[in-house]
Amino acid sequence: MLRTIASKEYRELLRDGRFRWAGGIVAGLLLVAGLAGFIAWREQAAQRDAAQATMQATWFNQPPKNPHSAAHYGLWAFKPQMPLAFVDRGVDPYAGTASWLEAHRMNEFRFRPAMDATAAQRFGEWTAAGVLQQLIPLLIILLGFSAFAGERERGTLRQLASLGVPTATLLRGKALGVTAALAVLCVPAAVIGAALVTMSSGASGLLRLGALSTVYLAYFGVILTVVLVVSAQARSARAALVTLLALWAANGLLVPRVAADVAQAAFPTPTAREFQAQVQRALATGIDGHSPRGARADALRDSVLRTNGVSSVDSLPFNYDGFAMQRGEEHANEVYAHYFAQLWDRFGQQDRAQLVGTVVAPVIAVRFLSMGIAGTDFGQHRAFAEQAEAYRQEFNRVMNHEIRDQARADESFSYQADSTLWRSIPAFTYEAPSLGHALATHTVSLMALGAWLVLAALLVRRERRIEVA
Amino acid sequence: MTTVTPSPLLEARGLTKRYGDTLALDTLDLSVGAGEVYCLLGANGAGKSTTINCFLDFVRPDAGSAMIGGTVAAQDPIGTKRRLAYIPETVMLYSNLSALENLEYFATLATGGRPVRAELAQHLRTAGLTDTQLDQRVGGFSKGMRQKVGIAIALAKGADVLLLDEPTSGLDPKASNEFHRLLGLMRDRGAAVLMATHDLFRAKESGTRIGIMKAGRKVAELRADEIGHADLEQLYLTHMHD
Repeated sequence: MLRTIASKEYRELLRDGRFRWAGGIVAGLLLVAGLAGFIAWREQAAQRDAAQATMQATWFNQPPKNPHSAAHYGLWAFKPQMPLAFVDRGVDPYAGTASWLEAHRMNEFRFRPAMDATAAQRFGEWTAAGVLQQLIPLLIILLGFSAFAGERERGTLRQLASLGVPTATLLRGKALGVTAALAVLCVPAAVIGAALVTMSSGASGLLRLGALSTVYLAYFGVILTVVLVVSAQARSARAALVTLLALWAANGLLVPRVAADVAQAAFPTPTAREFQAQVQRALATGIDGHSPRGARADALRDSVLRTNGVSSVDSLPFNYDGFAMQRGEEHANEVYAHYFAQLWDRFGQQDRAQLVGTVVAPVIAVRFLSMGIAGTDFGQHRAFAEQAEAYRQEFNRVMNHEIRDQARADESFSYQADSTLWRSIPAFTYEAPSLGHALATHTVSLMALGAWLVLAALLVRRERRIEVA
Repeated sequence: MTTVTPSPLLEARGLTKRYGDTLALDTLDLSVGAGEVYCLLGANGAGKSTTINCFLDFVRPDAGSAMIGGTVAAQDPIGTKRRLAYIPETVMLYSNLSALENLEYFATLATGGRPVRAELAQHLRTAGLTDTQLDQRVGGFSKGMRQKVGIAIALAKGADVLLLDEPTSGLDPKASNEFHRLLGLMRDRGAAVLMATHDLFRAKESGTRIGIMKAGRKVAELRADEIGHADLEQLYLTHMHD
């Protein structure tokens, strides 16, 4: 019986010119967004690899120079392109994908495409994730809004209801029919996506693609159930369509924006200028605000002289400038770690606050999960930033210790190291969090999506009686 | 010696339905046995369609019960609907599907099995469609042709109860005559038929019993073979003018 209803719905939809047009347009957009995203992804990956190789060669081939100069010359950490970043670019266009690692400073990320975007991009970037989150639900609405309301208007629902078909069976059959029609559009896109991911990333990418597909299927299931239940309850097809379009706008546009604004208001973050001012103040006076740089330097020198039983830094068995620079570096590291952790924790709080909106807009949970699985969420941006910072600290430590251990007291800034030192610094490699870890950080989103699925199942079970006229 | 009367296939007991201040059905009692055609006559708003809707469980009565084969429709709507076929004033079908596809769809849902296509085609022919019409999309079908598909659905379902809500309203005389021929066929197969109609002539011709309704109440009930056309018309008009 279920198959009969599904098969008839599917057949009718395929014969419906509106479906062919709307479905064709959405499938075309999905394909274009996916392919364009993949081409851009591949180009960026190639550019990144080339820049990484050039930067590494330049670092290794530096002429002999003072290690502190080399530390200021610096290195770049480029965020690798994650396998599914072409589907969902997540926070990358806003948070940046490369960081310049140098002495004394933990720099903000650079290469943020959003900064160069035109005004049109304020409406959202055209990605496969955007099509999946916004347009496929719209297509589901167009396919399903008249499933019951239209039949009621045409009078076929009376005929159908007189046959003794349980309402839940009717609802499930119609859902299957719409799903089959959607599959005609989405399965080829998924196959093409799988082929692209296999070409570029192999099995690990496929695993992520499987997880991503599961999340979107669950999301579409929720949307489809809501569409059919609204259609079953609405007095007319027009009323069903208007209601569903309002829900679509609330889910896709209004609630996510309001949730983001409320989260920002509840957990405000400083502007870039304020943030830098806070950091500079702490660097000068300490995190507690009562440890001026000069006093710290004097205390350090006195302590070192006392410990080593000498009266002058020139009498120390190591280069004091190298030692002091490393201590200064460690103080700066503490300051940056403190303020960046504070800032990032705030971003995390904002993300969690936004999730409250998922009570009425499941797309919020789906967005976080989509970014998480694609490896482009804020958590993974933070993981990259922390690994890059650890690398910066280590390479600065090596440079400072070279001066401390190798330079005489009078050649702190004239001592020259050669490529042996440069080559002792291994190339930066980023260990991306596993899929499991990425999903674990989005447990609340997973639970929210699960709750929506349970609610959808309950709605289907509860729909025992449909008004036929 | 006692005579065992078989329980009627269709039975309304004290059926009452109110829409706000309007009493649509007022303690209606009626019963229809196998091989009987019970015609409900009455003006618009008399309660004929509400009665049928109660048997279909499209409307829940406020009091009393509508029973099919001894089972209260409101208590087992799925089970009772399995036994009946419903033909409204205009049988509404899926215009994108052909007559055969429509019948296949409704028959599959009605029987829960997979009907044989050749048998379905035969039901459509029995109902009066030509071979070329079987595979035509019903979007272009006339009302009469749609009613024939409705009869074919009832035949395919093997229903022993027929609920007809003004099925010949708007049909031309030839189509109406054809429809009543098919109705006779169903009756002869032992179906219990409850038909709401305005057509006094057809009620007298096809009906076994006739009930006249007014303001939700059955004001008269008589055997069709015990009254002439003229007397029926006079009786009907008398009740309508009361």
